[in-house]
Amino acid sequence: MSVQLPKKILLWLRRLRVLTAKELLQLFRDVALMFVIVYAFTMDIYIAGSGVSLQLNKAGIAVIDNDHSIASRELIYQFRPPYFRLNGEVLDSSTAMRLLDEGQVMASLDIPPKFQQHLMEGRQTAVQLQIDTSNAVLGTLAASYAGQIVGKYGLDAALDRAGLTAESLQVLPRIEDRHRVWYNPNQNDAWFFTIAELMTVITVLSIVLPAAATVREKERGTIEQLIVSPLSPIQILLPKVLSMIFVILLGTAVSIFLILGLVFDVPFKGSLPLFFAVTLLYVFSTAGIGLVAATMSRNLAQVGMLTIMILAPVILLSGVWTPPEAMPPGLRQAMYFSPLYYYIEMGYGILLKGAGLDILWDSLLGLTSLGGFIFTFGVWRFNGVLDESH
Amino acid sequence: MMNIRRIRVLAFKEWREILRDRLFFVLSFVVPSVLMLVFGYGIILDVEKLPFAVLDQDRSEMSRDYLHQFMSSRYFDYQGDVHSEQALSPLIADSKIRLAIIIPENFQKNLIAGRPSPVQTLIDGTFPFRAQTAKGYVIAINAAKNAELMAKWIAQKQGVTLEQARALVSPVRLELRYLYNQELNSRWSVAAALVMFILMVSPPFLTALGVVREKENGSIYNIYTSTVSRGEFLIGKLLPYIGISIINVFILWLMATALFGAPFKGDPLFFILASVVYVVCTTGIGLFVSLVVHTQVAAMIMTAIITVVPSVLYSGLLVPVSSLEAAAQIEAHLFPAMYYTNIVLGSFIKGVGFEVLWVDLFMLVIYASGLWLLSFFLFRKTPKA
Repeated sequence: MSVQLPKKILLWLRRLRVLTAKELLQLFRDVALMFVIVYAFTMDIYIAGSGVSLQLNKAGIAVIDNDHSIASRELIYQFRPPYFRLNGEVLDSSTAMRLLDEGQVMASLDIPPKFQQHLMEGRQTAVQLQIDTSNAVLGTLAASYAGQIVGKYGLDAALDRAGLTAESLQVLPRIEDRHRVWYNPNQNDAWFFTIAELMTVITVLSIVLPAAATVREKERGTIEQLIVSPLSPIQILLPKVLSMIFVILLGTAVSIFLILGLVFDVPFKGSLPLFFAVTLLYVFSTAGIGLVAATMSRNLAQVGMLTIMILAPVILLSGVWTPPEAMPPGLRQAMYFSPLYYYIEMGYGILLKGAGLDILWDSLLGLTSLGGFIFTFGVWRFNGVLDESH
Repeated sequence: MMNIRRIRVLAFKEWREILRDRLFFVLSFVVPSVLMLVFGYGIILDVEKLPFAVLDQDRSEMSRDYLHQFMSSRYFDYQGDVHSEQALSPLIADSKIRLAIIIPENFQKNLIAGRPSPVQTLIDGTFPFRAQTAKGYVIAINAAKNAELMAKWIAQKQGVTLEQARALVSPVRLELRYLYNQELNSRWSVAAALVMFILMVSPPFLTALGVVREKENGSIYNIYTSTVSRGEFLIGKLLPYIGISIINVFILWLMATALFGAPFKGDPLFFILASVVYVVCTTGIGLFVSLVVHTQVAAMIMTAIITVVPSVLYSGLLVPVSSLEAAAQIEAHLFPAMYYTNIVLGSFIKGVGFEVLWVDLFMLVIYASGLWLLSFFLFRKTPKA
């Protein structure tokens, strides 16, 4: 008995090894698929991280200057990069309107006649800003920045008129605004986008790859061969999952060191081994989702559609695009059912915030229990499918 | 050259095949609607209810008054007080709060004595866009508070009324006029943009799966050996998918207006015409993908990757194309999503039509013809092996 047991385990492990090698071979033989996977972990993440910023960036402004004075020019000059960019002067509001309609500019600034004169006399005056709010968020930002610019300009003009200089601000009662942005002091969007995209790629692949590998056997009828072989369901499934995990972890490593680290200088504040351990756990959990999808469909096309149906809420409820505090009440609780929510929390926590398990333990616990449940459910469904085919 | 009857027969055969696969058929309509529902309700780009904590070392009337500005604002959500700076950092690291305000001792004393006093704000920068917006709110609150403090001080020193003093410190008012979307309803923008996004992602997906399925099953050999020409096959094969996507255009349009309340101010005829061109165009992307890959898995992942990222990031959906950096602007112009984003936003929210958007439509036509021609030449009836 004591000799037989290790033998059994050895045989089990050997089968596992052979089948995993077979899955890897099958994967590597699909050249187009390998190319796509390599692209996903490198170029795709590079594209997501370069050149795109969610912030108001050089929004075009057209100016109708009815005053043509030093004061008006000074104000116009304040609308400059990074937030705004002057698109030049137009003569009347209908021209400005046309530019706005065509999307050439995002706002037009209208300065009234006698602007300078009113300022000198200490009378309140108003400038008008028309903003294209077809993108509501950017419209709001533009309004807020324009408010800051005009407010500051007005204050400077008032101090100037009162004969006060900037130094005299030291003797005025005022609040000195000292804000600091942690973890990403310059609000570098690339740090956010590359990590978000990496995690999305990992999610897509870890759902699609095992699901496809399983359904392919169904579609081609090779599943019959597996059923008549002396393999247990878990021995059929595990190699599929293990080979995908291997490929995904390899891709993640390439992406982390090459794209995030080398190209975008993402500061890895926390422990990278911990990040990879969490990634491993996450890929296992989401592979379970893929297995469930695979048991529900008869062919790859169906798996593809089902995957999108599952992916959309998983990504949406992860908090990448809408953090928990901004979610409406019902959806906020639903986030606990998205494995990506825990992974995002831990991923940003480890990579950007330098958090360790002392802070992230609750997310780890959440991912472990959710992942354990999904994976068990997937295996259970697969068992059922095998029994049916018998 | 092209035999209409053959095309019709091929299209009918494809249609029957799609109908027979019930799950696939149902999902080809359900998936776009579900995406619209989930993203339409779930993407909230307004930065509101930011959870924050406070370290008030002054505990004076003025400090409480100052903090009240944050507590009563809908942009912030008060989570409680802490008693030391060390207590703040784990709260931010764990995403329990996104913002912390630290008021130093002597805050009130300094202000009353006519001296400046600092206030420190710590902002979680994990989401740079949200951090930037939060920073804007903090600056605005401080600016308003400062104008008030200054007006009071001037009123006191120079013996004018508070009203006059206020006019003195802010001599220039900014009058804002919001065009197209007066209530700044971001749900409108999101719903309109989603029409673009979903019609970018779902037609190529359907198409790629449909064509590669024949390749992988080997049933494409029937086509290879038949008298059907390349053009007839491609058109007949894809007509049903284009048809499904055109129905989806109407479903999404209806959802955007009826469910999410987005206005439709433009010309419906122009919008339909442009949408059909766009759908033909995105179907062409699926066709292209299916010609370069051999397995359905590869087709799925490849369409997902080449459509999702550019249509989210380089389409003008999140950022106007004119604000992108030079390289990204070129990429945006190379991709059809940007042109259709202009058409969708123009038709729904801005209320402009052909006279403004004809360039975008023209580009889509060029793009669609280019893709179809490319696929026509890539598709070989005699396979290499």
